[in-house]
Amino acid sequence: MTERRLLRWLRPWVFPALLVGAFEWYARRAAALGSDALAPPSAAARAFMGAALDGSLWQATGFTLGTAALGLLLGAVLGIALGLVLGLSRRAAQLGSLSIEVLRPVPSVALIPLAMLTFGFGVRMELAIVAFATFWPLLVLVQSAVQQIEPRLLEVSRVLGLSARERAFKIVLPAIAARLFVALRLGVAVALVVAVTVEIAANPNGMGYAMMIAQQSFDPALMLAWLGWIGVVGFAVNAGMVLLQRVVARRMGVLP
Amino acid sequence: MSTAADFLRFDGVAIRLGGREILSPTSFDVARGEFVCIVGPSGCGKTTLLRAASGLVAASAGEVRRKGVKMSEPSREVAFVFQDYGRALLPWRTVEGNVSLALEAAGVPAAERAPRIAEVLGKVGLAKHAQKFPVQLSGGMQQRAQIARCLAQKPELMMMDEPFGALDALTRQSLQDELARLVRDDGLTVLFVTHDLEEAIYLGDRVIALQANPGPGRPSLARMIDVKIPRPRDQLTTKEHPEYLQLRRELFAFIEQGHD
Repeated sequence: MTERRLLRWLRPWVFPALLVGAFEWYARRAAALGSDALAPPSAAARAFMGAALDGSLWQATGFTLGTAALGLLLGAVLGIALGLVLGLSRRAAQLGSLSIEVLRPVPSVALIPLAMLTFGFGVRMELAIVAFATFWPLLVLVQSAVQQIEPRLLEVSRVLGLSARERAFKIVLPAIAARLFVALRLGVAVALVVAVTVEIAANPNGMGYAMMIAQQSFDPALMLAWLGWIGVVGFAVNAGMVLLQRVVARRMGVLP
Repeated sequence: MSTAADFLRFDGVAIRLGGREILSPTSFDVARGEFVCIVGPSGCGKTTLLRAASGLVAASAGEVRRKGVKMSEPSREVAFVFQDYGRALLPWRTVEGNVSLALEAAGVPAAERAPRIAEVLGKVGLAKHAQKFPVQLSGGMQQRAQIARCLAQKPELMMMDEPFGALDALTRQSLQDELARLVRDDGLTVLFVTHDLEEAIYLGDRVIALQANPGPGRPSLARMIDVKIPRPRDQLTTKEHPEYLQLRRELFAFIEQGHD
């Protein structure tokens, strides 16, 4: 019984272990043949330990996560608020539709030059771009979630005489909570991708920049360590969101 | 100024939606404390009439006056029991929480809510189920929860749109009797839409029959019948009462002939 459970637990790790092993073998062979481009995972692990011990790992991770979170917060608050308005009022939706359709497809990374001119290097530029990138998916998803609310519930709120504020917090937000969480998970993923991209392309801070520096100083082990770490961070953030979603859903009685 | 007769007055109320006449000009009065049932074939505008009476839709012509004042917006003094109880309850709130919504809307302080919730849940027989979520309840219990929420509003007028239409026969009968008792105890005025003629006679002081597509210039209101069967009524003796049988025959004949 316990043996079977152990096997079930181990099974997902088989493929990654094989992959790392094969990579280790291949990278060592390439190094033996005089390549500077690849480092074996064992060397990446040593570089990772070094970065963890000298603190640069935590500093850069903190910067990227903090900026992504703040940018997401900004984009999400604005996106949710506008999504609520556009979802509840058909007139507002018509008023905004053209502007949204024109602005939304602008790739967020294309905003780097503008943001750099406006804000210079640093936190504010990255914040602005992350907020821009996360604003649109939240706006669009919240708007469509609001439009799909059971119309009967809105009638109930009218008959009971709920104020606009009460209606938003007691009917609309709980009714869209499940979809809002899906949108937020998407937002988290977008925020992380955009933050790292901005750091690679322009902002001399954070994990993306650290990885770039490792690459430019011909340190493939450290570069690989950052790459793996960014993957781990992304995985952890998403797992945390899934957990949070489950807890909130249970508290709201969606999964009694 | 206000008399018993103009407690609720329909004055030539007509409703057009999407270019179609749903309700042709209809006039009648409802007195305070009266239980009025509205029957008629599908598409005759029963539900629309009720929605106009509660301010959920605006009349295209004529007006609904409550105590002499034109109804244009929903009021907390008018409760509405929807037919689809499953959709009208907030799935993320317990029974207690759903009832509480009415009190929160009315600005009742948090400390005063619990006793009032317990009171109305006791009235509808849901005291033991206060902590359950709607999905955990049967259809009859969900409808009881919705009625409890409406009672918590302390309305003087209750609109009920085929509230028992989707329930099984036994549940329906017990809910009919409970409703009759509640209405008598609280002195409520009720407008009750149903497609069940027997239910209308059993519950109502008066039955109003509407007709579908009355033709240009003719009112939707086709028939008005006073039900003088004594109260309290009960499922056995009332349904054997000669007047019940006679009204039943009369209404069935009227609906059958299609009342040109």
